[in-house]
Amino acid sequence: MQLNFMAPRWKWKGAEAKALAEPISKSVSELQLSLAETESSGTLSSCNVLLAVEPEQAELLDRCCFGRLVLSAEKVKKWIQLSFEEAFFLHYNLKCIKISLHGRCLENEVDTWLYMKSKRPNFPMFFKAYSHLRSKNWVLRSGLQYGVDFVAYRHHPSLVHSEYSVLVQSGDSDRLRVWSDIHCAVRLSGSVAKTLLTLYVNGNFKGEDLNLPVCLENFTVEEQTISRWSPELSREDEFTNSKQNVTNVSN
Amino acid sequence: MAPRWKWKGAEAKALAEPVSETVLELQSSFAQTEASGFLSSCNVLLSVEPEQADLLDRCCFGRPVVNVEKDKRWIQLSFEEAFFLFYKLKCVKISLHGCSLENEVDLWRSMSSFKPNFATSYKAYSHLRSKNWIVRSGLQYGVDFVVYRHHPSLVHSEYAVLVQSISGIDRLKVWSDIHCSVRLTGSVAKTLLILYVNGIVKTENMNLPLCLKDYTVEEQTIRRWSPELSREDETKT
Repeated sequence: MQLNFMAPRWKWKGAEAKALAEPISKSVSELQLSLAETESSGTLSSCNVLLAVEPEQAELLDRCCFGRLVLSAEKVKKWIQLSFEEAFFLHYNLKCIKISLHGRCLENEVDTWLYMKSKRPNFPMFFKAYSHLRSKNWVLRSGLQYGVDFVAYRHHPSLVHSEYSVLVQSGDSDRLRVWSDIHCAVRLSGSVAKTLLTLYVNGNFKGEDLNLPVCLENFTVEEQTISRWSPELSREDEFTNSKQNVTNVSN
Repeated sequence: MAPRWKWKGAEAKALAEPVSETVLELQSSFAQTEASGFLSSCNVLLSVEPEQADLLDRCCFGRPVVNVEKDKRWIQLSFEEAFFLFYKLKCVKISLHGCSLENEVDLWRSMSSFKPNFATSYKAYSHLRSKNWIVRSGLQYGVDFVVYRHHPSLVHSEYAVLVQSISGIDRLKVWSDIHCSVRLTGSVAKTLLILYVNGIVKTENMNLPLCLKDYTVEEQTIRRWSPELSREDETKT
């Protein structure tokens, strides 16, 4: 019996089949092509990026779960609000959007990186965690309401419930320092049927190299899930051949 | 949120036997028969008569340790509980490595050396206890303490307490931490209470429990605000 494996909870009958038929990776490729063709440009502000797109592109962004639709009166264009992580992923990893600041196009991704880092000092660490999961085709959204940094979905949120609540940590992090913090996060995650996943981003966060997004290549990410261990449920069954179970920590 | 009494008649029982009275009984019982506690790096073990163990349970100090002895009972106290019994109620003696710690300063220093944030934690604990709240560990609810209006057998705890000090580990620094605590607290029908303990650091007497007099405690509850539930009713004035 695998104790810590929680099967994905699909939201309706047929949702799993639909997900298998249209993998996230495929939708992301479609998005990449479409945005690159029209040379879409996002406007950078101190806390997010606003992207103006065609209605079909807005739909693609929604299918891949990038950003949130901003209500506007305009009929021709749709406005999407992207977080720094989402925007930089589209700009740097997928290379399908341009970024402009104060009306001027930022040609160099280094400029965008430096600006974002100046507004949010923990941006490099957060972005490494974000891109780490996104590159594995997990759909990521803000985890604020669940007391964490991100929540990760196996596919589109309309098809499946999120499985992991993600906390991003680095060497000198001030999260989960005392037992009550750990209990708080684990208990809340459990009450919303998610597993707590901590991502330890290891890297030199103070050096000069931090000024370039290529520093990301020197960061490593360690994954660790934290879940409750129940002695009653973990006893060996005398009647079956029990295998060694990995309980609390998985890498 | 009104107190949630655990059974019919619990509230009446609580009113008939206020916590303050039980504490006085405890004090006088211990004044007659001295109880002695042993300090370790994380708690205090107290050896008591069965009747005293019962009084401690009624006031909710410590947890009984299972043992085979019939004459004596062993109670495990947290630092805060032990120091409160020693310093405030003056009803126990404490020894470390076989030597009795007569002076409260010595005990204070020992506990502070074992637990760096003991001063603020104790200030918060005694602040609540002095108002006759029953205070227990809040570890499993992701907080420092949970407080009960009366004995836990009669009522559910109402507040989940987080202790914050000016100098020390900061909790609730980012919005997600606040949401985490508020949401979890709400899911167990409690209100989140933050106690901001302001200690004036005077190096001369920082190690003395006297410094507690200079500490102030600010209380703040954090709740969700629901616009729908907070609208003014048009039909009322």
